[in-house]
Amino acid sequence: MSSLGTLGNTTLLLALAFSLWGLIGGAVGAIRRDRRLITSARMAASATFLAMTATVAVMEIALLTDDFSVSYVAETSRTTSPIWVKIVTLWAALEGSLLLWGWLLSGYWAVLSWVAPNTPLKPWALTVMAGVQTFFVGVPAIAARPFNSVFPVPLEGPGPNPLLQNHWMMAVHPFLMYLGFVGLTVPFAYAIAALITNRPGTEWMLNTRRWTLIGWGFLTAAIITGGWWSYEVLGWGGYWAWDPVENVSFLPWLTATAFIHSIQVQERRRMLKAWNLLLIILTFTLTLLGTFLTRSGVVSSVHSFGDGPVGPIFLGFFIVAFGLSMGLLAWRWDHVRDRSDLDHPVSREGSFLAGNVLFLAMTFAVLLGTIFPLFVEAATGDKVTVGAPFFDQATLPLWMGILFLMGIGPLLPWRRAPDQTLRGNLLWMALGAVVFGVASFAFGMRAIYPLLTMTLVGWNLASLVLLVTGVVVPRLKIGQRGVAQVLRQYAFENKRRFGSMVVHFGVLVMAVGIMGSSAYRVDEQIRIDIGSSAPFQGYILHARDKFMEQTPGRISAGAVVDLERDGQIVTTLRPRTNVFAGQEMTVPTPSVMYRPNYDIYLNVASTVGPEQDFVVLRAVMSPLITWIWIGGLIAALGTAYALVPGVQGARATRDLKRGLEASQT
Amino acid sequence: MKRWVYALLGVAVLGVAGVLIQRALGEALVYFILPSEYAADPATYEDRRIRLGGIVSPGTVQYDDQKLVLAFDVTDSLQTFPVEHIGTPPELFKENTGVVVEGSFEDGTFKSDNLLVKHTEVYEAPKDGEPIDVEALKESLE
Repeated sequence: MSSLGTLGNTTLLLALAFSLWGLIGGAVGAIRRDRRLITSARMAASATFLAMTATVAVMEIALLTDDFSVSYVAETSRTTSPIWVKIVTLWAALEGSLLLWGWLLSGYWAVLSWVAPNTPLKPWALTVMAGVQTFFVGVPAIAARPFNSVFPVPLEGPGPNPLLQNHWMMAVHPFLMYLGFVGLTVPFAYAIAALITNRPGTEWMLNTRRWTLIGWGFLTAAIITGGWWSYEVLGWGGYWAWDPVENVSFLPWLTATAFIHSIQVQERRRMLKAWNLLLIILTFTLTLLGTFLTRSGVVSSVHSFGDGPVGPIFLGFFIVAFGLSMGLLAWRWDHVRDRSDLDHPVSREGSFLAGNVLFLAMTFAVLLGTIFPLFVEAATGDKVTVGAPFFDQATLPLWMGILFLMGIGPLLPWRRAPDQTLRGNLLWMALGAVVFGVASFAFGMRAIYPLLTMTLVGWNLASLVLLVTGVVVPRLKIGQRGVAQVLRQYAFENKRRFGSMVVHFGVLVMAVGIMGSSAYRVDEQIRIDIGSSAPFQGYILHARDKFMEQTPGRISAGAVVDLERDGQIVTTLRPRTNVFAGQEMTVPTPSVMYRPNYDIYLNVASTVGPEQDFVVLRAVMSPLITWIWIGGLIAALGTAYALVPGVQGARATRDLKRGLEASQT
Repeated sequence: MKRWVYALLGVAVLGVAGVLIQRALGEALVYFILPSEYAADPATYEDRRIRLGGIVSPGTVQYDDQKLVLAFDVTDSLQTFPVEHIGTPPELFKENTGVVVEGSFEDGTFKSDNLLVKHTEVYEAPKDGEPIDVEALKESLE
């Protein structure tokens, strides 16, 4: 019996016991309003976190010391892997990534148990967190056990999936994804608490505003880094293939994005109570549905993780969580129903509502496309897949609508737009749109969606300028301060507002990148004899040499290709294929020349053998693709900025403290 | 403005979305079939992107490494069709393995731009004279 395995099983069972206590003790305490029981259940969060930390530490030690008596290590690790690969192997397969999920969740739960304000919602919110935690500890503790003992102990393991160990993004993207999924559990827990305690006002969303933004920010970052990862490792020169695994990460993002907009309507206008509750319930349950779809093998995917008992378990939890949430919503329906109407459709809330409808329509379209093969097979027995054209056709018009609303919405005042300001703003924005549209046409763009995208980018840029001048110009008039100072002060005082402008600007930058790289991409297969050259998009590709490298963990074979333009060697690329020890599969490892105006992406289409005197390259030119990653970075920074504690918050805390002190004396 | 106006607007938006979705789905469905299924009903799959699965017939593989065209016959032992794949043979491509090619039929030849090699571990090729289990073959290629 392996000692690390026993230890890991013990700490995992401890975590399960603690989270069960958090659930049962928390629920009983909250029902009986028993302070001692509530406090005790609250402590279960920290205890679970400690036990999960110990569990993850044990697994890391087992991975780093190549303890193949632990089943997860035996199935996924290898002695020759570099240390960073061994560390991230924790989330290279199902059982380990469930540990990571459970650990991060316990971290959020523990932090929440300490920092959350003492409101009537808190005991129930912590109880819901405990319930979710119990599931995410229970699955690895009972069904997908990573600490089973292996006998006889193997001397070597296969190593993680070669696609995963081929790139350092493996260390980043899944981590961000789980941080996002887990982060959005917090507003879900508060929403359920609000329904149970019958307090469906704004309290629950104000308590979780930062958590929501944190979860959304991580999810956004995860999706973009995932795109860059697949660009760097999959070898076809794209970043998004509408593969089921990608789609199911996109679904909760769509509903979460709708949510962070529509909660503002409730904050300001006390409307959309039920809608907001529904959105956060959808967001949370879609992460469960997605995990079921991709882990159960019911939809085939390039990166599915194989069949297992875990799929049906997730389906069961999805059904239970969705059913209970909807039951609660129905039970409280009389209290969450909106009693007031929209004053006018042309208003901030009107535009937010329209944007919500578009986001939900997109959620529906993507979900339908992802699971449609299941319906067809069930109905006719035909095996089908839904190709990327469906997703493009279904989502592009919706995106255009969203971009349109993104420009106009923030400029509209709440309740009703005064006609004069609105007309003036619209005129400027239309001007921006026309300038960008005409310039793009003059530049040679003819296809409808790229032209529309550029037009809407102009529309939005004008809108951002109007938003900034709208606050800066009046302040300049009343004081003697310069533009930079006024702007700095505005950005400092209105962190949420300014952060949202930065995020929207990032979205525009990404839109340009997506437009350029998908509409104007050039993709060719080129055969070049070693020592000679071939033309590609104004460049001469000179296959100078081929090479073969061997390290203990892997063998690489590839070509050395000089990119020549106007008689000058611009750069040298070394596309290759890697074969990792213990694995059969060869992994393409493209080499990319990153440029602001376009990337040149080379991938060897078939392994360069020792006897072979030529190389077959897949050469892809993607205009503007780098701006997707830059735009994503801008959006992430904007989100982070909006999260910096604001002056208003600090001031409120200060005033509250003074008031307390005053009342005590 | 009354509630029912918004309700109506909502329904209209949903309707438009529904129509867009339905049209797009009809065009973007890619069927996965075997050669015999194609032979039984070629009209259905005319001018349409499909995924064709089967076994690489021995003795038919020809690779032109100048033009980068890989030609071979794909069979489910009931029917056989020639495939022309633009590109290089993948690593594990060889005779008698299961493959799935994606593309469309042009004049009886399947023009493919995507070739996947499938390890048909579950599926065992029948010995000479034995009937083939087409369903098992299809299941193993999916």
